[in-house]
Amino acid sequence: MDREREPVDDRSPAGKRETGAERAGRTAGLAATVALALWALSGPLAGRASAHAGSLGGSVASATVPTWLVVLTGGIVVGGTFLFTTLLTDHEAMRGVNWWRFALSTPGALRRTVRVAAGAGSVALLALVVWTGVTGTDDPTRDFAILFVWAGWWAGYTVTTYLVGNTWPLVNPWRALVAAGTVGLAATGGRLADAADRSLPDSWGVWPAVAGLLALVWVEVVSPVGEEPRLLAGLVVAYTLATVAGGLVYGAAWFERVDPVSRVFAAYGRVAPLQWTDDGLAVRLPATALTEDPLPDRPGEVAFVVALLWVTTYDGLVATPGWETAVEPLVDAGVPALFVYAVALLAGFGLFVGVYRLAARRIRAAADTYVTAHAIERWFAPALLPIAAGYHVAHFLGYFLGLSPALVAVTAAPLSPPLNTAVAILPGWFGTVKLLCVLGGHVFAIWVAHSLAFELFPGVLAAIRSQYPSVAVMVFYTMTSLWVITQPYGPPPFV
Amino acid sequence: MPRNDPALPDPDVAVPAGETPGGTCPHCERPFRSEHARDLHIGEHHEPAAAERERYEAALERERDDLWLFHAKAVVGLGVTYAATVILYSAVIGGFF
Repeated sequence: MDREREPVDDRSPAGKRETGAERAGRTAGLAATVALALWALSGPLAGRASAHAGSLGGSVASATVPTWLVVLTGGIVVGGTFLFTTLLTDHEAMRGVNWWRFALSTPGALRRTVRVAAGAGSVALLALVVWTGVTGTDDPTRDFAILFVWAGWWAGYTVTTYLVGNTWPLVNPWRALVAAGTVGLAATGGRLADAADRSLPDSWGVWPAVAGLLALVWVEVVSPVGEEPRLLAGLVVAYTLATVAGGLVYGAAWFERVDPVSRVFAAYGRVAPLQWTDDGLAVRLPATALTEDPLPDRPGEVAFVVALLWVTTYDGLVATPGWETAVEPLVDAGVPALFVYAVALLAGFGLFVGVYRLAARRIRAAADTYVTAHAIERWFAPALLPIAAGYHVAHFLGYFLGLSPALVAVTAAPLSPPLNTAVAILPGWFGTVKLLCVLGGHVFAIWVAHSLAFELFPGVLAAIRSQYPSVAVMVFYTMTSLWVITQPYGPPPFV
Repeated sequence: MPRNDPALPDPDVAVPAGETPGGTCPHCERPFRSEHARDLHIGEHHEPAAAERERYEAALERERDDLWLFHAKAVVGLGVTYAATVILYSAVIGGFF
């Protein structure tokens, strides 16, 4: 593909070739406009959210704006961002932004040392989690296993995978155990060592990971595994046995296609600025790596991304008062609560997949193209990942920060934790931060989808028109997730 | 500018049974619903011959005209949305709701 010729390269309305500086200046100008508009639109939102959070400062200073207006404003910001993005039509400039990278040198010796140290450290931490889970106290805010797994790892560490980079392959204790086990088996001539001829059926694709993710979130929501150290230790041991056995039998394919945890971090890691490339480690602008690598053509790849988006929504949804009201009659009528939770989980997942597939078909019609709907689903799925990340940070950052003093205190002495641990009370404006995180995820998603559309469809207008269905879905989804976030939190009822 | 970054693969295409494509790329055989899209594709992805370049430039010209109109609508839409938001907030804060 060669784009050297001048007229081919040129889409500027003035019909003359722009210099790089002019183009950069124009892009920067538009970026500034977008930022300004976002700020202007989010100004009233900020005032309201602090009031909503009920802090003293907020309730004294700002007028009361109802939740519906906060939610509506979110939808307006996403729609407005789309309109702004349509003004950016210089494909070469977009590629300049999306392909920018700064290579970091990573000497081989350093890589090997870090890998060995991180692997050993992670296995030690895993052992400590199991030990403190089995022997620990019944008070979850003093137990290392509970605090480390839920606040430190599931909330805090996950945030680093999309804000910094996916370090999970490095610090995955199960991968380290599998690596050690493989070496050990090879040394003793064990049978499992010739795992190369065992493989998962191709037709399964990554569906095992989709099922695993849904199951994991269901267990997390319905069982007291977030409060009872012994139950958590049992779950960790069971997970360790399954993962190590799977890894020994199926090798790396296990972590790529079955292990839901590795898949989650790999998916989130695609949003991050730190990326592994063929040439080593590189720093990129956030989310721009998503505009380059389409999902592999395997069954379940799109479903996994959609599932990732859905499970975080589900996690928030079941903690709202509205959920309790909706489920109460069913539970009163004698339907087992666990069953209700499972059906809701699967039905919501089905709904999300259905809406996404419908949007892909509408995109096909809007862009007036022969590209198959299946290819469109795969092509635009990476754009969902910043939304999932933005929603995840909104959902979990407060939880992580609130428990972080306890986590620090208990980590300092995991075997004999202090009698009382502190929990941080977050300031009222933190509610605004959460709303802005959700909106930020959608803004990145619009940029990614816009860039991907320009790569897929010829010209400018077909690419812009192709975005109408996805923008409509995004506006609706933003409003739904903002509504969930502005609801008062209560533990999932009836379980 | 040669593409020195990994290119996205060509997407799968399918022409519905009984439909004749409006145009097919002579370089990569990809079908398009309209000649307009085909002409743009050749200019963007291949090394166009003289006649193809002429058609590409004509297609670009049409895109520019349509885009101007679209952008005018987008700017008006943004202005209206912004004004409506401000009015809505004034009304809510002023106690009309």
